Amino acid sequence: MQLDRTPCVLGEEARSLVKEAKILVVGAGGIGCEVLKNLALSGFQDIEIIDLDTIDVSNLNRQFLFRKEHVGKPKAVVARETILGYNPDIKVKAYHDSITSQEYGVNFFKQFSLVLNALDNRAARNHVNRMCLAADIPLIESGTAGYSGQVELIKKGVTQCYECQPKPTQKTYPGCTIRNTPSEPVHCIVWAKHLFNQLFGEEDPDQDVSPDSEDPEAKTEDGHSMTDTGNVKRISTRQWAQEIDYNPTQLFNKFFFEDIEYLLKMENLWKSRKPPVPIKWEEATTDGEKTEVKDDDNIKNTDMKVWSINKCAQVFAKTVDVLKKELSGRNFLVWDKDDQPGMDFVTACANIRSHIFSIQMQSKFSTKSIAGSIIPAIATANAIVAGLVVLHAFRALQEQYERCSAVYLRRKSKFSKFVLAADNELQKANPVCYVCSPKPFVNVFVNTNTMTVKEFENEILKKQLNMIAPDVVLDGKFVVVISSEEGETQANDNKTLVEMSVVEGTVLKCDDFLQNYELQIAVNHYEAKEKDDPLFKVAVNPEDLKAKEDIKNGGANGKKEENHDEDSDDEPTIVENPPEDPQEGSSSKRRKLNPPEDSDDDLIVLDEIIE
Amino acid sequence: MASPPPKSPEQTEKSKKYDRQLRLWGDHGQVLLENAKVCLINATTLGAEILKSLILPGIGAFTIVDGETVTEEDTGSNFFLDYDSVGMPRARVATQSLLELNADVHGDYIDETPEHILSHTQNFFNKFNIVIGTSLPEKVLIPLSKHLWEANVPLIVCRSIGFLGYIRLQVKEHTVIEAHPDNENPDLRLINPWPELKVHLEKTDISKLDNKERSHVPALTILYYFIKKFQEHNNGALPRSRSDKDEIRKMIQESAVCDENGVQILEDNFQEAIHLVNIGINPQIIPTQLKKILEDDCCTHLTQDSSPFWIMCAGLRELVQAEESLPVRGTLPDMASDSGSYIALQQIYQKKALSQSEFVYRRVCQIVTDLGIQQDIISEQEVKLFCKHCSELYVMRGSCIADEYEKNSPDLSVYLEDPDSLMFSYVVLRGLERFLGEYNVYPGHLDDQVEPDVLKLKIITGKLLSEWRCTQILRDERVHEVCRYGGAELHSVSAVLGGIAAHEAIKLLTHQYKPLNNTFIYDAITSSSATYTL
Ligand SMILES: [Zn+2]
Repeated sequence: MQLDRTPCVLGEEARSLVKEAKILVVGAGGIGCEVLKNLALSGFQDIEIIDLDTIDVSNLNRQFLFRKEHVGKPKAVVARETILGYNPDIKVKAYHDSITSQEYGVNFFKQFSLVLNALDNRAARNHVNRMCLAADIPLIESGTAGYSGQVELIKKGVTQCYECQPKPTQKTYPGCTIRNTPSEPVHCIVWAKHLFNQLFGEEDPDQDVSPDSEDPEAKTEDGHSMTDTGNVKRISTRQWAQEIDYNPTQLFNKFFFEDIEYLLKMENLWKSRKPPVPIKWEEATTDGEKTEVKDDDNIKNTDMKVWSINKCAQVFAKTVDVLKKELSGRNFLVWDKDDQPGMDFVTACANIRSHIFSIQMQSKFSTKSIAGSIIPAIATANAIVAGLVVLHAFRALQEQYERCSAVYLRRKSKFSKFVLAADNELQKANPVCYVCSPKPFVNVFVNTNTMTVKEFENEILKKQLNMIAPDVVLDGKFVVVISSEEGETQANDNKTLVEMSVVEGTVLKCDDFLQNYELQIAVNHYEAKEKDDPLFKVAVNPEDLKAKEDIKNGGANGKKEENHDEDSDDEPTIVENPPEDPQEGSSSKRRKLNPPEDSDDDLIVLDEIIE
Repeated sequence: MASPPPKSPEQTEKSKKYDRQLRLWGDHGQVLLENAKVCLINATTLGAEILKSLILPGIGAFTIVDGETVTEEDTGSNFFLDYDSVGMPRARVATQSLLELNADVHGDYIDETPEHILSHTQNFFNKFNIVIGTSLPEKVLIPLSKHLWEANVPLIVCRSIGFLGYIRLQVKEHTVIEAHPDNENPDLRLINPWPELKVHLEKTDISKLDNKERSHVPALTILYYFIKKFQEHNNGALPRSRSDKDEIRKMIQESAVCDENGVQILEDNFQEAIHLVNIGINPQIIPTQLKKILEDDCCTHLTQDSSPFWIMCAGLRELVQAEESLPVRGTLPDMASDSGSYIALQQIYQKKALSQSEFVYRRVCQIVTDLGIQQDIISEQEVKLFCKHCSELYVMRGSCIADEYEKNSPDLSVYLEDPDSLMFSYVVLRGLERFLGEYNVYPGHLDDQVEPDVLKLKIITGKLLSEWRCTQILRDERVHEVCRYGGAELHSVSAVLGGIAAHEAIKLLTHQYKPLNNTFIYDAITSSSATYTL
């Protein structure tokens, strides 16, 4: 006999909607596992789940559909099996695939009653946001970070979309970016931390630092990867390092010269990128001023300054030596941002790599703040947020959208000390949102003299504006600048924007067929002046950029410190624990205390969500 | 420390598995969790969801006490009871499937009702670090609450009915060293520096430095110099008000010098000093909350049974009496400066922090000896951590649930003046319990009994409100709504509550973060929640 799991508590209408609904769950991580379980126990009969990831040991403290024996297997597939093991009467379809793949177009999305996001990165969130807007399917977006979390409904014409408010910068990176084609300081910092673990820490195959010859971008036209052309996997990095007794010169030349030389051989990678410049120990240590690294000098003085390459090399050699000694007699070291040799090692390596790839080098202070930020994740927060997701789903299915205002778990704010608190009303769409407004429009600021069409496509259209396969024409001139058809505009790739008559004031019409998304781009010529200036900028309203820069210039310690200062500014004297510090007040208070719309609390709201 | 002691492979695997949570409560929090024994009474959907969120992060062991057998209704909303297990003991089935979640966790079960255990082996519950009960009828709740209150074992009582949720923490006394405050200002002591710091800071005369030297001075030294300058201009008065601070900022700003090209510049370290004005000038005072702790009877009248927390408090108290200030935290924010100056400064802070924690540790050792208790009960490392976090120390003293039900009628009328107050849900839930006690079934459980049940529940809640001397009445629709639930659990509501309750359990077990004090109500219809101290 089949058990009717639709809860009576829901009422007749909701129960029949639940039974008929077809649900797409995007992501089978921490929240995704919980959401799947909740759906299966709420009477949903038709569920599809998509996830690109495979299971890792560090998932097991919360992704409860997976066991140790599942490590390495696709999350979506195992999640499906576990759920069906509990309840074989429902239909669950699993895709081990990326949701941004061309196969999942608007028509794919249209078959669902609801889409539930349980993702860990912004690019995929942006993409699903656009797909659901295009398909006009309600989307429930969710995320957690440590103890906090949130759930919100996104519905075309009813609420704001995921991209209505500009979000702080992203924090997860694909392996090939780290190993082959870093473009930001953080990529080099992540790489340097991996290098630490390869040499001294716990070896983790996911943290390989050598060139990745399987990079899809590196494949030659006939589809061959580089695997067969060299870089024979000798022995593990650790083993080799031990064999040469951690000789700093040899280590340096391997990571910063030989590996880079190898990367240069993957020619496809450098067609639209500036190729890296390998550097040898001898060269690095003669470059620039001679900085002695004395034994008693523990380098703290220069925390705020950017080290020269010479200094980086010296620090590298010195810290390798220190760490080697610390390692002797132990199995491995644990990298900790607060531990000096480890932090110095990462700063030095990240900066040498940045230098090689012409990326802005960073002070130890900035490196530390970037390197130290891993988003913690725990079972409890995911369980709570996933429960809220499915409760929202009940309401969204009944089209009770006005009851789906955003709910926050332990929102960090001076106004709200509640465990759970809901917004008073739905967040209205931003009328000039460059995604969901009727005529999407955005300004980009690029150096039209030096930026190539290919760079424009990769850096601006794909990375910044999150398009998948854009077509671009010059407005009013019918000149095709970029085509999503393979090879059609290849001739333009290496031309600069100016050569394509894309100059200050040009308006470009961009169309992403997959996302069913049209965007007008106004091009502004811009040249980065200061070393800290970004290479390009994107904004609906140029005024927004000014505001951001003011924040940036606020202080060396960055935004966090800045807010911190301002918080206490109004209460000039002593910050003390309030005598009674409950996490919540009473419900009546909450209504009054709901943060005002212009509150900057939204800045803190989690976006960088791991699960 | 970069280098941990050599670890066994098993621990390695563990630290990998728990990596994402260790970042929240640290290795020492994880150790407490891994040593914890948790008892769950009744493996309802909510009970199983709570246990799931405790097993995944790795508690040491759990025991399920449940005298029921699995029903078809159970399997509809409880992930850990499958359809094939209908009729089998619920404690056994739930234990077996929950154990699959984490091989490092031990679990067993007792296939008996909690009433039975309470009447036969009263001290059974005393061995747990925490007891969690779901769907407890009043006749079990009251004696259990009294017993655990006396035994000083924390109790968490939870209910999930339809769209309503309730979590109540009963802890006699709970102490927290690491409260993890959202904001933490650096502890600089520039007002009233101790002698060594004062001597050091006064060695530098900012006005006599050349440009190169200026750029190497740590911001702290700069700020201290200008505080002194301020005092000179103001007859020795300390800067207190906002305008005083503005004046100091202005003085720093105006000290800018010209570089070789004649351009006036304010170096990074001077800008840092301006940033530090706000947080760096406050005189270090002892928070009232901490003063209360240090004057608490538990601190002033130690016994052989005193916990390490109170013994350390007593040690701290002696330091505070001797030095009239709290231990220095000993960490400095990063600053632009040359290495020598920064390290010198940092060492002065570290040395002070160390000497103070050594003082406290010596006192602690003496106290322990005087009390005649085990010498190694408190390690020097623990005292260090304690001193570092001394300004966040927190003591929560709860109330006994039995008292809430039997003696002190709660004063709810203040809350009930707001017609939307979630306190009405508390009234409903108490009404449901009483209903269950009287009729042995939830209102609305039988389809043909909904209307009569609504009437009965109205009478019960009316009586409760008048017992509590509240003049407000419960709106009819609230009563109708809960009768519609028929006592059924909605899985997603239990999922939300399970996460919240488990999290409170983790706070209690790790002694980190402040727990809810003490009653949490959740209304899933409006997605709102509230906490009341009852
Ligand atoms: Zn939008």
